[in-house]
Amino acid sequence: MTDVVRTGFRPSRIAIYGVLLLACLVYLIPLIIMLITSFKTPMDIRTGNLLALPTDWTVMGWTKAWSEACTGVQCEGVRGFFWNSFKMTVPAVLISTLLGAFNGYVLSKWKFKGSDLMFGMLLFGCFVPFQVVLLPMAATLGKLGLANTTAGLVLVHVIYGVAFTTLFFRNYYVAVPDALVKAARLDGAGFFTIFFRILLPLSTPIFMVSLIWQFTQIWNDFLFGVVFASGDSQPITVALNNLVNTSTGVKEYNVDMAAAMIAALPTLVVYIVAGKYFIRGLTAGSVKG
Amino acid sequence: MSQLELRDIRKTYAGALDETLKGINIDIASGEFLTLVGPSGCGKSTLMNSIAGLETITGGSIVVDGKDISGMEPKDRDIAMVFQSYALYPTMSVRENIAFGLKIRGMPKEEIRQEVERVADLLQISPLLDKKPSRLSGGQQQRVAMGRALARRPKIYLFDEPLSNLDAKLRVEMRTEIKKLHQRLKTTIVYVTHDQIEAMTLADRIAVLKDGELQQLGTPKEVYDTPENLFVASFMGSPSMSFIDVTVERSDTGLSVTVEGSDGRTLALPVPEYLENWAGNRVVLGIRPEHISQPDEQKRDNMMVEEGRFTVEVTEPTGPDVIAVIRLNGIDVQCRLDAEHPVEWGEDAELMFDMRKVVFFDPQSEKRIRPQ
Repeated sequence: MTDVVRTGFRPSRIAIYGVLLLACLVYLIPLIIMLITSFKTPMDIRTGNLLALPTDWTVMGWTKAWSEACTGVQCEGVRGFFWNSFKMTVPAVLISTLLGAFNGYVLSKWKFKGSDLMFGMLLFGCFVPFQVVLLPMAATLGKLGLANTTAGLVLVHVIYGVAFTTLFFRNYYVAVPDALVKAARLDGAGFFTIFFRILLPLSTPIFMVSLIWQFTQIWNDFLFGVVFASGDSQPITVALNNLVNTSTGVKEYNVDMAAAMIAALPTLVVYIVAGKYFIRGLTAGSVKG
Repeated sequence: MSQLELRDIRKTYAGALDETLKGINIDIASGEFLTLVGPSGCGKSTLMNSIAGLETITGGSIVVDGKDISGMEPKDRDIAMVFQSYALYPTMSVRENIAFGLKIRGMPKEEIRQEVERVADLLQISPLLDKKPSRLSGGQQQRVAMGRALARRPKIYLFDEPLSNLDAKLRVEMRTEIKKLHQRLKTTIVYVTHDQIEAMTLADRIAVLKDGELQQLGTPKEVYDTPENLFVASFMGSPSMSFIDVTVERSDTGLSVTVEGSDGRTLALPVPEYLENWAGNRVVLGIRPEHISQPDEQKRDNMMVEEGRFTVEVTEPTGPDVIAVIRLNGIDVQCRLDAEHPVEWGEDAELMFDMRKVVFFDPQSEKRIRPQ
C-alpha cells in the first residue's frame, strides 16, 4: 500500500501542468490587459507598457464609462443602455426558455403525427444565419408596430431562441421515463398539471443550460440590436460600439476598456452563478425514477 | 371491488400490418386475481395499457361493472396501475407521491393525511414517508408504488411486471406480500408477468397469451395439468414439459406407446383409452419431470404406471430433488427424482413412469387431445 501513493513531482506531471498553465495564460492575457488598462490613467497608458500594472490605480475610467462617456451625440455613459440590455434580455430569456420547455414536453411526451418532422424542421432554426432574416423581420416588426422598441427586440430573440431551447428540453425530456407521465395520467393529472408538477420540477439542470445559453446569446447580440433598435432603446453592445467610435480628440482607452468590461460582466456573473449546472445539464443523461 | 369484462378487444398500431391484439375475451370476477402471462411481444402490456386507457383500442369494448369505459380518459376510469419501473415522481417525497392522486381529485387535506397513513401502515412504509424515492431501495420503491395505487381505492388494480426489477430473493418476498395483500383487501387485480412461476403462485386464474391471441384461460391447476396446446404446455412449468413423438399402438393389454432410450432399450408405456381413435397414428406425448421418478412401491400395482431402466445423461441437483436428464426417442427428457435417490450421470437408473397425468397433442393442430 505504501508505494501506491505517489507524490506529484514526476517530469511528465510537471510538463502537463506547465503546458496547461501556459495555455491558461495565453487565454487570459486579453482579459488581463483590459482589466489593468481600465484602471490606468490616460497618461499611464500613453507612456507605460501594455502589460505593466498601473502606476496610479484609478476608477476614473469606470465612472466615466458608466455615466459620462459620449455615445454619439449624448454623453451620459453606457448606464442607460446597460439597463436597456437587461430589459431586453431578461424577458427574452425567460419567455424563450419556458416556450422551449413546453415545446420539448409536447414533442417528447405527447407525440402526434408529424411531431418528429416538426422537431426536425424546428432544428433548421438553429442554422439560419441572422443576416438572412433582417429585412423580412424589419418589415414584420413594422407591421406589428414594434419597430425600434425593446418589445420588438424581445420578440426577435424569442423567435430565434426557441429553436435552441426546444432542442435542449426535448432531448432532456426524452430521457425521462414515459411511465412517469402514464402514472400521472392515471392519478388524474391533465396535460398542464403533468408539465408543471412532474416535468418542470425535474428540469433544473437543463433550465440552467438554457438560461446561460440564451442569456449569453441575447446579451452579446449586436446585429439585431443595431438593426432593430435605435436611440434610447439600443442595447449595450451597440452603445459600446458607438462609445468606442465616438472620438473627442484623444482616445481614452481606459474608458473603452471599462465600458467593454461593463458590457461583459453580466454574462460572466451568470456563468459563475449557474455554471455548475451547465456542465451537469450538458452531461445529464437520465433521471432515476 | 369491481367486475371487469374484456369483449373482443382488438388493437392495431398505426402503420402496423398485423394486429397486436386479435380479439381478446376475458371476464374477470369481482375480487379476482387474474394474471396475464406470455412471452415478450405477446401483447400483454398492450392489453394492460388498453385497460388503463393509456392506449386506444381499435375494436371491442372494456366494461367495468356493466359500464363501457372504452372511450374514457385514463383519469375517469378509476383504475390504478403499478409500473415495472415504479414511476415514482422523483421530486416528491414518498408522502407527496402517495397523496398526489388524491390531491388532484380534490380530497380534503385531513382525509388525505389519514389515507396516506392508512396505506403507509398497511405496507409498513411509515418511516419512509418524508424521504425522496431516490433514497429508497428497490423493494421500498416497490412498496411506495403499490401504496400510491392503493391510496385511491380504485375499482381495479393493474400490475405491470411489478417485481421484475427486484433481485430473486426480494421478488419471492414481495410475491408473498402481494398475495397476502390481495387476500386481505379482496380487490380486483390484473397482473402482467412473463414469469410463469409468478403467474402460477399469485393467480386465481391465468390467461396465457401468444401473438395477441388468448391461448388458455383457467385456474393455475387447469393450465398446468390440462394445457390446451403445445405452447401453453411448454410455457408453464419449470423445468418445462418434454414432448416426445410417439405412435399409438394396440396390443392385447390395451393401448400403448413405445419409447426408445439412447442405447436402444425400449419400453412400452400404457396410454389411456381415449386415444382409441388415434391407434396407428403419431401423437405428441407431453410428460412433466414429476411424472418420471424413482420407483415407488405404492404406485407399482397401478395399471398406468410402468418401470424401465435408462441411462442418465446429466444430473442437476436443485436441493429438494435432482433433475436427471435421459434421452427418449432422440429427445432430452427431464425426470424429477428424490434428492436422496442415488443417481450418477453416465449410469443406468431404474425409473418409474406415471402415465396418469401425462397429456397428448395432435401433431398437426398442436392442440391437446381431449378425453371424450
